[in-house]
Amino acid sequence: MTGDPDIPPFFEVSDLRQTLGGHEVLRGVSLVVPQGLTTVILGGSGAGKSVLLRHLNGLMKPQSGTVRVQGVDLGPLSENDLRPIRRRIGVLFQDGALFDSMSVGDNVAFPLREQGERDRGAIARRVDEVLTLVGLKGQEHKRPDTLSGGMRKRVSLARAMAARPDCLLYDEPTAGLDPILSENITRLIGDLKTEFHLTSVMVTHHLGAMRTVADQVIFLKDGVVRYAGSPGGLDRSADPAIREFLAADAMGIS
Amino acid sequence: MKDAIRSTLSHLGQLVLLAAGSLASLVTAGLRLRSACSQVVSIGIGSQVVVIVTGAFTGAVFAAQAYYKFNELGLGSATGPVVSIAMCRELGPVLAALMVAGRMGAAMAAEIGTMRVTQQIDALRAFGVDPVDYLVVPRFLAILVSMPVLVAEAIWFGMIAAEVLTVEIFGVPAPWFREQLIAHTQASDVISGLLKGLVFGLLIVLISCHRGLHASDGAVGVGRATTRAVVDSSLAILVVNFFLSLVFNRWFPTSSIDL
Repeated sequence: MTGDPDIPPFFEVSDLRQTLGGHEVLRGVSLVVPQGLTTVILGGSGAGKSVLLRHLNGLMKPQSGTVRVQGVDLGPLSENDLRPIRRRIGVLFQDGALFDSMSVGDNVAFPLREQGERDRGAIARRVDEVLTLVGLKGQEHKRPDTLSGGMRKRVSLARAMAARPDCLLYDEPTAGLDPILSENITRLIGDLKTEFHLTSVMVTHHLGAMRTVADQVIFLKDGVVRYAGSPGGLDRSADPAIREFLAADAMGIS
Repeated sequence: MKDAIRSTLSHLGQLVLLAAGSLASLVTAGLRLRSACSQVVSIGIGSQVVVIVTGAFTGAVFAAQAYYKFNELGLGSATGPVVSIAMCRELGPVLAALMVAGRMGAAMAAEIGTMRVTQQIDALRAFGVDPVDYLVVPRFLAILVSMPVLVAEAIWFGMIAAEVLTVEIFGVPAPWFREQLIAHTQASDVISGLLKGLVFGLLIVLISCHRGLHASDGAVGVGRATTRAVVDSSLAILVVNFFLSLVFNRWFPTSSIDL
C-alpha cells in the first residue's frame, strides 16, 4: 500500500546510512511513509529499527542520505530549525521516557505548555481528554514511578497525543509487556488509527501488533530493507530472512 | 598519549560549546523562572547548613593555628586580619564551592544523567525543547543567585567562629580583635571572594551538567558521570582558584598589616 499518489508522503528516506561504534547500523535504507497511513517497521533485535525511527524526527543526523518530512530535508537543519517540525510529530518512547520529576498530569500537559498554551482550563481539559482516551482518566496526580509498565506506555501515548500532532512514532510500544498488556496497547494504537487517521510509524518485532495496525510493512534486516509492501505480501515473501522471522514468530520465539 | 590529549581537548571544546549555548539561551530563550526558583531552593537553601558548618569550623581552626604561632611572636592581634583575609579571599569561596560541588554537582550530574539514559532528554528534544534551555540555564541562574550568598555566609560564619575562639578562649580583647579585623579587611577582599564564588559556581554547573548530558551505559554510566562531575568540578575549582588569586591580587591588592 503506497497511499494516495496525489498526496505527498509524510516521510521520505533515501539511501540512509548510519554507523555507530564502528558498526554500520543502517546500510542505504530508502522508504516512503504515506500520509494518513500506519507504517510498521519490522525486524529482529539489532536490525536498526529504532535507529531508523530516531532519524525520522531528527533526533539523529544521517551520516549520508536524506530524510524528508513533508518535503523538508532534515539534514541541513539546526536544532532550532528542527523544533517546529518535531512539535508536529509525537513520539512514544520504548520505556515511556516520562519525566520523573512531574506528575502524570504535568507530563501530559508538558507539550501543550511548551507550545505556548497558557490557559489552565484548556490544558486541564485536554489532559483529561487524552488520559480518558488511553483509559487513565483520573490518574493525573500519580507519579510515574508508581505506574506499571503498561500504564507508563499509555501515559507516554497520551503525552504524545496531547498537542494534536500530525504524526505519531511508536518505538517498540509492546516491548517488555505481558501478552495481555501488549494486546491492550496494540488495540489502543489500532483504535487511535481508526479514529484519527494519523500518519503513524511503529517499530516492533511483534508480528501480532503489526497485523493489527499496519497499512504498510517495512522489513529490516541488518540495516537493509528486505521488504516494503502490504502486510499480506510479507507472508508470501520468499526472502529467507523473512521466512525465518515468520517461522520464529510462529514458534513463539521472535 | 595522543588519544588522551585529543579526548581532553574534545572535552574542553564541548564545555566551551555548552557555555556558549547556555549564554545564547540566556539571551534568546524565555526565562524559566519557576524552574530557576526551584533550583535556588535546591542549591542555595539546601546548601546552607553544610556551607555554614564548613565556614565556621574552618574559620575556627584557622584562627587557632594562626593565634598559636602569632602569639609566640607577640602578634596575637594579627589573628583577626589574617583569618579575615584568608576567609574572604581563599577559604570562604573555595570551601563553599567544594561543598556545593560535592552536594549539588553530584545531584545535577545524577539527575541529568538519569534523564539521559532513560530517554527523557530525547523526549525533551522530541517535543521541541532544547535540553540546555530547560536543564542547564535554570541551574546557571540559580547558582548565580546562590553562590555569592553561600560564599558570604561561609566568610561571615568563619569570622564569627574565629572571634568567638580568639576572644572567649584565647582571651584577646573583643574590641581589639574587631578593630584590627575591620581595619585590615577591605571591600576588595570581600569582592574578590564573591567573584571567585561566582566563577566556581558557573564551573560546577557547566561541568556537572555536561557530565550528565553525556552520560551513557545505564546506571553504571550515571554513577561514573556523577563521580567525574564531583572530581572534575573540585579540581577545576582548585586550579582556577590559583589563577584567579594571581589576577585578583593584582587587581585588588591586600592591605598591608600594620599592627
